[in-house]
Amino acid sequence: MYLNHFEYYAPRTAGEAFELVGRLGDQAKVLAGGTDLMLILKEKLIKPQYLIDINGVKEFQGIAYAAGKGAVIGAATKISEVEHSAIIRDKYFALYQAAGELGSVQVRAMATIGGNSCHASPAAETPTPLVTLRARVVIKSAAGERQLPLEDFILGNRKTVLGVGEILTGFILPEPAPRSASRYAYIGLRNAMEIDAVNMAVNLVLEDDGRTIKDLRLVMGSVAPRPLISAEVPAILVGQEFGSELVGKAAAAAAGEARPISDIRASAEYRREMVAVLARRLLQEAFDAAREV
Amino acid sequence: MKKQLIQLEINNRVYEVPVNPRDLLVDVIRKKVGLTGTKKGCGQGDCGACTVLIDGAPVLSCITLAIACQGKKITTIEGLADDRGNLHPIQQAFVDHGAVQCGFCTPGMILTAKALLDRNPQPGEAEIKRGIAGNICRCTGYKKIVEAISAAAATISKGVVK
Ligand SMILES: Cc1cc2nc3c(=O)[nH]c(=O)nc-3n(C[C@H](O)[C@H](O)[C@H](O)COP(=O)(O)OP(=O)(O)OC[C@H]3O[C@@H](n4cnc5c(N)ncnc54)[C@H](O)[C@@H]3O)c2cc1C
Repeated sequence: MYLNHFEYYAPRTAGEAFELVGRLGDQAKVLAGGTDLMLILKEKLIKPQYLIDINGVKEFQGIAYAAGKGAVIGAATKISEVEHSAIIRDKYFALYQAAGELGSVQVRAMATIGGNSCHASPAAETPTPLVTLRARVVIKSAAGERQLPLEDFILGNRKTVLGVGEILTGFILPEPAPRSASRYAYIGLRNAMEIDAVNMAVNLVLEDDGRTIKDLRLVMGSVAPRPLISAEVPAILVGQEFGSELVGKAAAAAAGEARPISDIRASAEYRREMVAVLARRLLQEAFDAAREV
Repeated sequence: MKKQLIQLEINNRVYEVPVNPRDLLVDVIRKKVGLTGTKKGCGQGDCGACTVLIDGAPVLSCITLAIACQGKKITTIEGLADDRGNLHPIQQAFVDHGAVQCGFCTPGMILTAKALLDRNPQPGEAEIKRGIAGNICRCTGYKKIVEAISAAAATISKGVVK
C-alpha cells in the first residue's frame, strides 16, 4: 500500500523551518516522530502536499534545566530521552512515569513529546502530567513567538490552537515547589501498548508542617475531550491536613467531575469509578513522596 | 513524481537507491536493497516485525520514510553476524533456546533485544519483558524468547564474544 505523493523537506535550522511552514501554509504538515502522522497518511485521512521533517533542527531538541528556574524541553525531544532523563525523574516524576508508559520501546524511540500534545488525543499519555506540572508551551513562527499554558493549547480531540505557519518548539516547566511531589498512573486493558481508559496525574505541595496541603493540582486524561483540571479536589483539600476521610471525599468529587464516554475500551461508568480509584491512590502516593523531599 | 537518488548506510555499507519521498524504509530495504530479513507485519507500528536499528535505537521501519534516513547508520538482522558468519550471541541464544518457531518475529525481536542489552547489559526478567513489549510473537508464548535474551546477556557480559 502506497502513501499519497508529497514533497519532503528537512530543514536544518529553526529559521529554515519557520520559513517553510510559513510559505507552504496549510498544504504542509510538520513531521516529528511520525508515529501518529504516518498512520494518518496511510489511512489517507489527510493529503498534505509537503512534509516538513523537523528532526534535523537542533534548536527543537533536548532537555535543559537550571536550578531554581525549571526545565525547558524541546518539542522534538524523543519520549525515550524524557524517559531516561535523570532531571525529569528527579524533578518531574509524573512526567517520567508517563513517558515510560507511552507505547513500546520502538514508539518511545521515535515519538516526540511535542507530537504527543500536537496530535491531541484525549487518551494521550504526556499532556496529563505536563498540565499537572503547569507546563507552558512555546509556539513560534517566522513572525514571532507566543507562550501559553498547555491546557489552553489543547482544544479537544486532535485540535490545538496552532495556526498556519506555527511550530510548537518546546515546553517550559517551572521549578517544583519545596515539599512537593508529582505522580502519574493509568488504567488500561493490559500492561503494554494499550490506549489508556483513564489516566491521571497529581502534583501536591505541603506546608512546612509536612501535613497540611498548601497547593494541589489533579488532572484527568481520557475522560474528557482534553486534559481535565479538577476544580473540586483542590477546593476540598488545600489548607487541610491530609487524611483518608478528606481524600475519599476528594476522590468522589473527581469522579463526579469526569465526563467520560463509553467506547470499545471501557464504559463511562467504569471510567468514572476508576477516576476515584486513581485519585485516592495518587493523592496518597504524592503525599508520601512530598513528605520525603 | 520524480525519484531522488539517496544514500542509505545499512550494515556499514552504503547503498545508492532511487526513492520517492513517500517510500517507506521497510519497502526500500526489502525491495530495492534486497535485504529481506526485515519483515513487514501490521504496517501500523504495533507488531514490531519491521524493527531495525537506526543509530542504535530500535525503529519501526514500516512507519519511517526512507528519505528521512540519509546520513544515519541502519542495522538490519543481516548486519548482526560477524564477518566470518558467526552468529551474534543473541542470535545464537535464540537458536540454542528454541526461541525461533515460524521465525517471522525473530529479526525484529533480536534487534529489539540488542537495543535493550546495549542500554542495559544485565536486565532482569521484568525488564526484558518490558523491553520486548512492542514485538508480537504468535508462536512461542515468549517464554523461550525471554530465556534466550537472558542467556545472551550472560554470554555477552562474560565477554566471550563481542
Ligand atoms: C504502536 C503505537 C503505540 C502508541 N502508544 C501510545 C501511548 O501509549 N500513549 C500515547 O499517548 N500515544 C501513543 N501513541 C501515539 C504517538 O506515538 C504519540 O502521540 C506521539 O507522541 C506522537 O509524536 P510524534 O513525534 O510521533 O508525532 P507525529 O506523528 O510526527 O506528529 C503528530 C501530529 O503533530 C504535528 N506535530 C508534531 N510535532 C509538531 C510540532 N513541534 N509543531 C507543530 N506540529 C507538530 C504533526 O504535524 C502531526 O499532525 C502510539 C503510537 C503507535 C504507533
